[in-house]
Amino acid sequence: MRNVWWKAAMATLALATAAPALAGDVSFKDPTGDDNGPGTYVYPTDTVYKKGSFDLTGLDVKVKGDKVEFSVGTNVALDDPWRMGGGFSVQMVFIFIDTDGVEGSGNTDGLPGLNLAFSPKSAWERVVIISPQPSSRVKSEVETKAGAMKDSIVVPARTKASGRNLLATVDMKDLGTGDPSQWGYQVVMQSNEGFPASTDLLTRKVNEYEGQHRFGGGNDGDCDPNAVDILAGDAKGDPGEVEIQHAMLKYECAPDGMAKQKATLSMVHAK
Amino acid sequence: MNRKHIGGVLLALAVATAGAASAQQNGLVIGGTTYTKWLWGNQRVNGSVYNFTTVPGEGYGDTGQGSEVELLLSARLSKEVEVKGRLHSRFNQNFWTNFGGFGGRNPALEDPPAGGCTGGDCGEFDPRSNQYVKLRGVTVTLTPGYNWIDSATIGANDFGQFDPFVIGRFRYIDRDNASGLLFQGSGADRKFTWDATRISLPRLFAGPGFSTGKFHAADAAYGFQTKFTPSSKFDFGFIANYNNDIEVDARDRNIDNGRDIRTRFRNTVIGGKFGFHPSSKVDIAGAIYHSSSASADDLAPANFFGLSGFSPVPVGKHDDESWKLDAAFNDPFDNGFSVNVQVFDIGAEYVALMAARRESDVLLTEGHDATYAFPGPDNASFGVFSGNPSRIGIGGWNGNMQQVATINVDNEFSDFDEPAAETVIGWKGVTVAPTLSLGGLDLAAEISLIDYNTNWQAFGDPSRNVTSTVYPVHELDTGVGHNFRSAYAPFQDKETKIGVIRAKYLVDVGKGVDVFGKIKFIDETDKRLNDSRFLPYQAGSCPGGGRACADNKRFYSPGNSTADIYGNPPVITVNGVTGYQWKPFDSLSDDDRDLNYKLLQIGAGYQLTDDLYASLTLERYDTTLEDGNTAFQAYQLHELASGDHTQNKISLKARYILAGAEIGFEYQYNKGTFDPDFGGGFVPQVATEQISIDHNVPVGSRGFSGRFGGWNSLEKRDFSQQRVKAFMKVQF
Repeated sequence: MRNVWWKAAMATLALATAAPALAGDVSFKDPTGDDNGPGTYVYPTDTVYKKGSFDLTGLDVKVKGDKVEFSVGTNVALDDPWRMGGGFSVQMVFIFIDTDGVEGSGNTDGLPGLNLAFSPKSAWERVVIISPQPSSRVKSEVETKAGAMKDSIVVPARTKASGRNLLATVDMKDLGTGDPSQWGYQVVMQSNEGFPASTDLLTRKVNEYEGQHRFGGGNDGDCDPNAVDILAGDAKGDPGEVEIQHAMLKYECAPDGMAKQKATLSMVHAK
Repeated sequence: MNRKHIGGVLLALAVATAGAASAQQNGLVIGGTTYTKWLWGNQRVNGSVYNFTTVPGEGYGDTGQGSEVELLLSARLSKEVEVKGRLHSRFNQNFWTNFGGFGGRNPALEDPPAGGCTGGDCGEFDPRSNQYVKLRGVTVTLTPGYNWIDSATIGANDFGQFDPFVIGRFRYIDRDNASGLLFQGSGADRKFTWDATRISLPRLFAGPGFSTGKFHAADAAYGFQTKFTPSSKFDFGFIANYNNDIEVDARDRNIDNGRDIRTRFRNTVIGGKFGFHPSSKVDIAGAIYHSSSASADDLAPANFFGLSGFSPVPVGKHDDESWKLDAAFNDPFDNGFSVNVQVFDIGAEYVALMAARRESDVLLTEGHDATYAFPGPDNASFGVFSGNPSRIGIGGWNGNMQQVATINVDNEFSDFDEPAAETVIGWKGVTVAPTLSLGGLDLAAEISLIDYNTNWQAFGDPSRNVTSTVYPVHELDTGVGHNFRSAYAPFQDKETKIGVIRAKYLVDVGKGVDVFGKIKFIDETDKRLNDSRFLPYQAGSCPGGGRACADNKRFYSPGNSTADIYGNPPVITVNGVTGYQWKPFDSLSDDDRDLNYKLLQIGAGYQLTDDLYASLTLERYDTTLEDGNTAFQAYQLHELASGDHTQNKISLKARYILAGAEIGFEYQYNKGTFDPDFGGGFVPQVATEQISIDHNVPVGSRGFSGRFGGWNSLEKRDFSQQRVKAFMKVQF
C-alpha cells in the first residue's frame, strides 16, 4: 500500500512539473560512450574526472517567454569537487548555433582553445558558453582571447547542474531572431580549465598522453581538436552517430604541430 | 558560489596545467601569479598571514597584509621530455609591515634564547619573514612512446590520481610538496590502465608521532592501481599501497658490511572498486579497503601517555576494513527528482597513512559544520588553560566539513573562507540525499544516521589502563562540533543524526537575484562511560556534607582504574560554603553528551555589474548541549561546553573580476553567546586577580578549577567578533 502511495505521489509530481513542449523547443540526443573525441581521447587521470563526466547525452532547448533555456545532458551525476558553487566543476560546454541557416554566413572558426572549425554550411552566429566559472571571469576571458568574436558569444549570467544536466538560461534577444527549433546546433563538450594557456578560452588541452589534468590520446601540438564529445548525424542518439563524430573530429597534424587538416564540424538540425 | 575557493582551485591546477599550457610549445615558458591578501579582525592577532594553524612554532592571526608570487616554469624539450617547476614565495610571516623583511631579532645571537619567531619579529633572520622564495614542484615527465608505458613522472606531484581512501591529497600550504616516481600505462585501447608510484614519505608527518624517525631518506610509500573498463556499463579498480618507515638498527655494531635496518612503521592498504551503470538513470558503485599497520614499540611511541596523544596513526598493530556502497537514481521520473543513497562503514582501526588529509570528500553526507571545529565555545583547544585563545575565532570556517578517511586531517595554514576537513574514522551508517529541480528552484536534502565503530569502553581493551592507549586522541571529542581530527575517545557510546534541507531560487528580477537558504539539524548523543564497572571509585566514596572523599578506587581490571583520569575532588570552602571543588564522578550520566544543534541560513546574491557579484548571508546557530558536568570536565583538558550556545553570522561577500585579475572580499560579523550549565554537586569558586589575568574573566566572577587547574567560567559569555579577508590574484 505504501508503494502505491509513493508511486501516486511521484506521478502527481511528474504531472505537476512536466512542461508541455512549446513551439521553439527542440531536443537532440547523443550516444553514450563516445566521449573520446575522434575515437582516441581519454580522460585526465585525476580522480575528479569521473567516468562519463564528458560524455554528452543530449541537448534540450526550451523557449520560455523571452528566455531560452539550454539543458545539456551528461553521463554522470554531476558534482562540484572544486566548490565552484553551481553544482559542477570539471565540465565546460560550448553550444554553437547557426541561426540563419545561410551557407557562409557567420563564423567558421571555433573559439580559441578548441582547435576546430565549422563547415561554411554550418557557420555559426552565436555560441553559448556553459562554464562553472563566474560569468564575469568568462566574459573577461572572452574579452581578452576572443575579442573579435565577442558579439557572437553569449555568456549566461549563471549556470548550474541538476542531476546529470548542465543548465543555462539566456535572453532570446541575445541569440537573435527566428524560431530556435529551426536553428542548427552543435555542442562541444570540454573541460573547465581555471588556468588556461594564454590563447585558450578556459579550455583544457588534449595531449598525446593523458596527465593528471590533461586529456590524452591526441597530439602535443595545436592540431588536435580539444573536443571530447559532440553531436553528430541526426542527433538521435543512434550508435551510428559515433562514427560520424569520429569522422568530423578527424584531424591531421603538420610537422610543426599545427593543423594540416583541422577537425571541421557540422550543425545538427531537428528532424 | 564560494568564489574564494576558486583561487585555491586555480593554484591546484596551476602546477598540473602549466605544463599543459606549455606542452605544445618548445622552449622555456614562464607564467605566474601573484596573490595578495588582506586580513583584518578584532581578535587583533598577528602571528602570521593565515587564520589557523596548530603547528608548534608557527604563528596564526586575523590581521595583516602580505603578498606572494609564484613563477611557473615549464619547457617541452622534445616530444618525449617535459620539465616544469615553480619558484614560490609564501605568506608565512611576510607582513607588509616587515618593510621588506629587514632587521629583526636574530635568535642565533640571543643569550638566553628569546623563543621562536612569530609575527615576523625575526625579520631577515627567519626565512618565514624574509620573503624567501622556495623551489617547488620540480617535475620531469617522460613520454618515451613505448608500448608498455605511457609516461613516467619524476619529482613533485599531488598524487591526486589515486584514491583518497588510500593515497590522496595532502596539501600543506602547497599541494605538490610530495615527490616521487609515477609510472602510468595502459592497454586494450586504454580500457585497462595502471599507475605505479614510489613516494618519498614526508618526514613532516608520515609516521607515528608525526615523525618518520631519524633515518628518513629511504622511507617510502609504494602504490599500484589498475582500472579496467570493459564496457560503458561496468568498471573495476584495484589499488594497493605499502608504506615503509625504516630506521638504522642500532644493535648492528658491525658497520664494515653496511648497516642493518629495522621497520619503525609499516602500513599496507589494498582496495577494490566497482561501478555498474545499467542505464542513464541508475549508477551503482562500491569500494572496499583493508588496512594493516604495525609500529615498533622501541622506535615509535609505544603508547600515548595520558589523554593527549597526537599522531597521524595509532601505534601498535591494527587491521581493519572500510567500505562504502553508493546508489544514484538520476531523475528516474523525468521530473527533476533524483536521489543518492550511500551506506558506509569506516573501520575504527582503518589506517591509511597516505590517505587524503583534506580537499577530498569521501562521504556523501555534508557532516558537521566547520563553524564549530574545536572543543571550546569559541573554538579554542586546551582553552581551559591560560595562553590558549581561539585560533580561528568563534566563527570557525565557513560551510560544512569535508570528510576524509584518516585521523591525519590537516587544516593547517588556512583561512576562515576555505573548506575544512574532518575525520570519519569509525563512522558507519547511511545517507539518503534527494534533490529536486523545478525551474528556478533547486531543493536538496539529506538524512544521515551515523553510528560508530569507535563505540567502546576503555578504548576497547579493558586490560589496559586508559592513560596508556595506542590511539591518539588529539583534541578529544568535546564541544559543540566534531573536533576535526578526533576519532578516538576512551569511552564512547555515540550516535549522530543529521538532517539538512537546502534551497536555491532564482528570482527573475533585473539580472536575477540568487536566493538561497538552508536548515540543518544535528542530534547527537554519547553516553560515553556506560558500564558502572568503569566508574572511578566505589559507591559512597564521596559522602558529601563537607567530608572528604575516600580513595576507594574501583578497578575495571587488575591495576587499572578510571580514577587515573577522573580523580576525586578536594573539599573547599568558598564564601563560607564548604563542598567539593567539582562533582565526584559517581554516576554514569556524569559524562553524557546530548547535542541539539540547529542552523538556519538565508542569503541572496546579485550580479551588480558585469564584473562585480555580491552576496549577503545570514546564519543563525542554536545549540543546546549537555556535554558532561564538572565531574567530566571535558577530560580536564578543554573548556567544558555544556549549556546553550547561539551564534549569528553575517557574511558579506563580493568578487570582482577584470581580465587577468580576480579580487575577492568577505566581511563577517559573528555575534554569539554561551550560557554554561555545568550541573550541581560542587562549590563554585570566584576568580582571583591572577585568574582574571590568566583567563580573561572578571575578578569575582564564578567558575571552577579542575583536576589540572585551569578555569571554567560559569558566567554567560557574549562573543562579538568581526573579520575580513580580501584578496587579489593576478595571473601573468
